Amino acid sequence: MSDRLKIFLLLAPALTAIIVLFMGGLGIGLARSLNYMPVIGLVDPNFDAYVTVFTSQEFYLSFLLTLHISVTSTVLSSILAIGAALLLRRQFIGRAIINFLFQLNLTVPHLVGAIGILYLFSQSGSFARLAAEWGMISRPGDFPALVFDPYAIGIILQYVWKEVPFIGVILLANMQALGEDYESVARSLGANRWQAFRHVLLPLIFPGLLSASVMVFAFTFGAYEIPAILGPNYPAALPVLAYRKYTDVDLEARPEAMAMAIVIALLSALMIFLYVRISRRNIRS
Amino acid sequence: MTHVSLKDLTKVYPGSKVPSLDRLSLEIPTGELTALLGPSGCGKTTTMKMIAGLLTPTSGDVTFDDRSILREKPEHRGVVMVFQNYLLFPYMSVADNIGFGLKMRKVDKSEIDRRVGEMLDLVKLPDLGKRRPSELSGGQQQRVALARALIVQPKVLLLDEPLSNLDAHLRFEMRDLIRSLQQEMGITTIFVTHDQEEAVVLADKVALILDGRLCQYDHADVFYKRPANEAVARFFGGQNFIPGQSSGTAFDSALGQLALPQNAITGKGTLTFRPENVKIGPSQTNGLTAILEDRIYLGTQTRLRLRVGETMVEAIANPDEVGDFEVGGPVPIHLPPQALWVLQ
Repeated sequence: MSDRLKIFLLLAPALTAIIVLFMGGLGIGLARSLNYMPVIGLVDPNFDAYVTVFTSQEFYLSFLLTLHISVTSTVLSSILAIGAALLLRRQFIGRAIINFLFQLNLTVPHLVGAIGILYLFSQSGSFARLAAEWGMISRPGDFPALVFDPYAIGIILQYVWKEVPFIGVILLANMQALGEDYESVARSLGANRWQAFRHVLLPLIFPGLLSASVMVFAFTFGAYEIPAILGPNYPAALPVLAYRKYTDVDLEARPEAMAMAIVIALLSALMIFLYVRISRRNIRS
Repeated sequence: MTHVSLKDLTKVYPGSKVPSLDRLSLEIPTGELTALLGPSGCGKTTTMKMIAGLLTPTSGDVTFDDRSILREKPEHRGVVMVFQNYLLFPYMSVADNIGFGLKMRKVDKSEIDRRVGEMLDLVKLPDLGKRRPSELSGGQQQRVALARALIVQPKVLLLDEPLSNLDAHLRFEMRDLIRSLQQEMGITTIFVTHDQEEAVVLADKVALILDGRLCQYDHADVFYKRPANEAVARFFGGQNFIPGQSSGTAFDSALGQLALPQNAITGKGTLTFRPENVKIGPSQTNGLTAILEDRIYLGTQTRLRLRVGETMVEAIANPDEVGDFEVGGPVPIHLPPQALWVLQ
């Protein structure tokens, strides 16, 4: 058996799943977004749904909100994860325990975390009550709106809480594999601590940081459940908006939902492309 | 132009009871090339890192021209360390690697380019500035690492096993390059190695460190002729150690009475002589008859295991000299007095 055939056969199960499920789903979605649904007699494809999507103001507001959520969560998580990894790679007493605690919330589902945030940070949540109890605010309702708020602080909080250990674990492994000798070289060549980090360590861990943060970016851009639980009603994040259209009583709205889903997919691909380009240019030159 | 001194330099790593380096004192004169020699784990890299400021000593001091540098940050010490595995920054071009130190000092871009060009010429890699480190051979990477260190004109240059990753023919080339650059720029240079050959070939003076302690600090040839103790002699390939009694002019042992060179110590001691100094053939002075136990032909030399009475003697001889002697038969040998050395 030739090597090529062997590789193809070995990859076949995974490829089948990807092609049938992913591409198939995308294909059907695309067809419906173009108003093509032979089962109910729609056989002339058109761009009506896309026109509706792109002419509604809500779509743009939702896009901006979603972009804000993913960029802010990704940047914040990345920065905090770098800091955490820098601390955790050092030798100190109790390091194993801290490391364990740091990674613990990797196992907690997003949904559970979101409900936790709701309990803690909402205006009727524990912190609001405590603050009122201690006289910091006159009643729980005066607590700053961190959930369902227009700045999506609750959502970002939840993503950061969940993604810092994810990126951090990857970076920590990365840093431990590198050791500290590269930075030692930089220091002895005259770099101060910050320069050694900025010009040596950061570029060295950059490939790991980039792949981890792209995953976070893509996830936060397309995820539904967290903005659905913690997000504002209007404008809603794009996936929430798309799902609402999909479950609308009016079946006419379905092609619109599909069009939006396709647009989300294209946008996240575009955003990832831009993100990779911009960060490459800035970190490694 | 910097005179380096180490004063009772000691390092005990946290959680360890035994010091990795125990009260090391050394004077390294301006512009000299000194080797710190010892097996791995003897504390030599620890010493380098403390001089470079990458590790803090437990006690003791490091001074440059009589001024302590321990409080200075690594980037302000004027010490550059070149690591064994070169550690070129993989994402930068060769030229950017060499210019790194100047960039950190915020030197003008045009000035950096000019000096990088000079450095590339100096290490004989004029056309490789645009390459990535991964596209270079080991020897070329070593040169780039050296250029990257020298461009900042360090007061003190530290080299970690500078020749050990190189092929035999590259070693001499690199040795010549390091020596000539070091002499030309007059940089006080310290390098560490576990390989006595590397130390002897490259250094003005050698400091032998065993188990975290300085055993002997001398010119290279002294380690072969007059080792300080048995451990030093063994480290340098000594194999013959014969206990006995010295009268100052003669040594009484299982080998009989042997004439000693002048100024030998008196009293109980251990006689040592290098395998290559055992001469084949009869002689009036210190002549012995040995039985040939084994011989190993090594191309340019032959290793002999000899027995004199009950005492084993290791010898290395020219293959032509030992052509006819058969294993089990007698071999006349002699030990020239000037090749003998008595250890306390």
